[in-house]
Amino acid sequence: MKKLIKNKWFIALLVLLVLAAFAVLSLLPGSPVKKLLKPVQLVTSPAQSLVKNAGDTISDFWSAITDGIAIRKENEALKEQIADLRYHLTQNEEAALRYEELKEALHIKDVFSNYDIYGASILSRESDEWFSTIRLNAGTIDGIALEEGNSYPVLDVQMNLVGRVIESSEKESRVLPLLHEGFAVAGKVNEVNGATFMVVGDAELKRQGLCLVKNIEKDVVLEPNMMIVTSGDGGLFPEGIPIGVIVSVDYSNPLEVTATLKPYSQIGKLEDVFIMIPYVEEETVETQNTTGN
Amino acid sequence: MSIVNTNTRSRIRKVVVYAIYIILLSSIQVSFPDKLGFAGQTADLMFVFVILSGYFNGFWDGAIVGFVCGLVRDVFSPPAVVGLDGEVRVTAFIGVLTLFAAGIVGSAFFTKRMHRNVPFSIVAVVFVTACYKILGFLLIFGWSTMIDVPSSLYSPSTAFLYSFLPQLLLNAIAAIPLIFLLRFLGPVSYRGKAEKDKIVDKQGEGTWLGI
Repeated sequence: MKKLIKNKWFIALLVLLVLAAFAVLSLLPGSPVKKLLKPVQLVTSPAQSLVKNAGDTISDFWSAITDGIAIRKENEALKEQIADLRYHLTQNEEAALRYEELKEALHIKDVFSNYDIYGASILSRESDEWFSTIRLNAGTIDGIALEEGNSYPVLDVQMNLVGRVIESSEKESRVLPLLHEGFAVAGKVNEVNGATFMVVGDAELKRQGLCLVKNIEKDVVLEPNMMIVTSGDGGLFPEGIPIGVIVSVDYSNPLEVTATLKPYSQIGKLEDVFIMIPYVEEETVETQNTTGN
Repeated sequence: MSIVNTNTRSRIRKVVVYAIYIILLSSIQVSFPDKLGFAGQTADLMFVFVILSGYFNGFWDGAIVGFVCGLVRDVFSPPAVVGLDGEVRVTAFIGVLTLFAAGIVGSAFFTKRMHRNVPFSIVAVVFVTACYKILGFLLIFGWSTMIDVPSSLYSPSTAFLYSFLPQLLLNAIAAIPLIFLLRFLGPVSYRGKAEKDKIVDKQGEGTWLGI
């Protein structure tokens, strides 16, 4: 027995069994097992930020050298564009004033008016096809407090869907990207009373940067280049967030028509994202308190 | 008289060099995956480093480096898995489990007979990567079946063409600079070890031959 306990292969087997048990335990809601990684996070996160910043600096320096001529030409073009935009801006200022007046008059509801938008930077991305969550530098201290079963949409700078926050710690949060196999969002064609369906991540399509569209009703006709936005069903995502465009539709099985979708957001090239957090209006809270009392 | 003896000095060197490589490689891996990618796969620097640590320096190095790299991976980019209740959750310790196993399997090639043969180390990397891919697919299939969730796995032929082959190729390529780092700027000095390899003598034949 003593010989067995001292055997390194036996020790390795024991460690593997304990680790497997920890991995399964970490899947339980509110599992405390994840807290064991906190000290590692405290040590490694600053070091990783340092390496990332150094890499970005080298990359920027190299770009500055190689892109010099291109930048000069772009600068000329941009100057012309600025002059053109100034002219349009003057015209639009008046239009904006008219819009505000009409908005008040017609009570147009701003789709995202009930959401606070938090900016965050991407700290780390996927390390291989299975270890594929994204880490952001915003956590509970920045207001990204996530309750069990809840989630927040994550958008890029153009307000296209990137994914959703699935876990947050004090200073960081983790995002499940749109292409991940576990991701699902209710979508619709971007038109009034557009047909709704599910947009989900798919392991095979992921490598092509595509998503799967399924649960398409029989009478719905989808065509390539149709713009797809969130439908608002399910409550996690507000209606109207752009997801992507239809690339192809597969009618080979009439009982289960599917389509592929190319997301607008280029997740691999993103540096900064925005997290949408629904806020509870003070009046509502006060009403609830009064009712409670 | 030296205050720090040779043995302690070599231990300090080992810890410091491993720590630097672990932080550097893991940070590069998760910060610039687009620069390490090909055909939808990414060269797994941490994974290759762990295998090579086991291959060149034995069981305990492979196990410990694998364990630490796994912890870092679980912090930087943990996998999200559908839980028992159907909710997608970020997991912990799957990275440790994977890289710890990779380290000890990598050390299985650590023998006197191999004598830290450099070309064979690439074979070790390819072998362990293939094991990782096959076991990974089997685990996903098994877990999806157990919790009754439809998995969107590749068909075997697609998996071979678009997941196995690019990953094997990328890991084999990534192994080349890492082999040089471990051999010539590594945690262990191999000078004068050609005749009598104390590390092999001390750790024994960490292989199936030794079981």
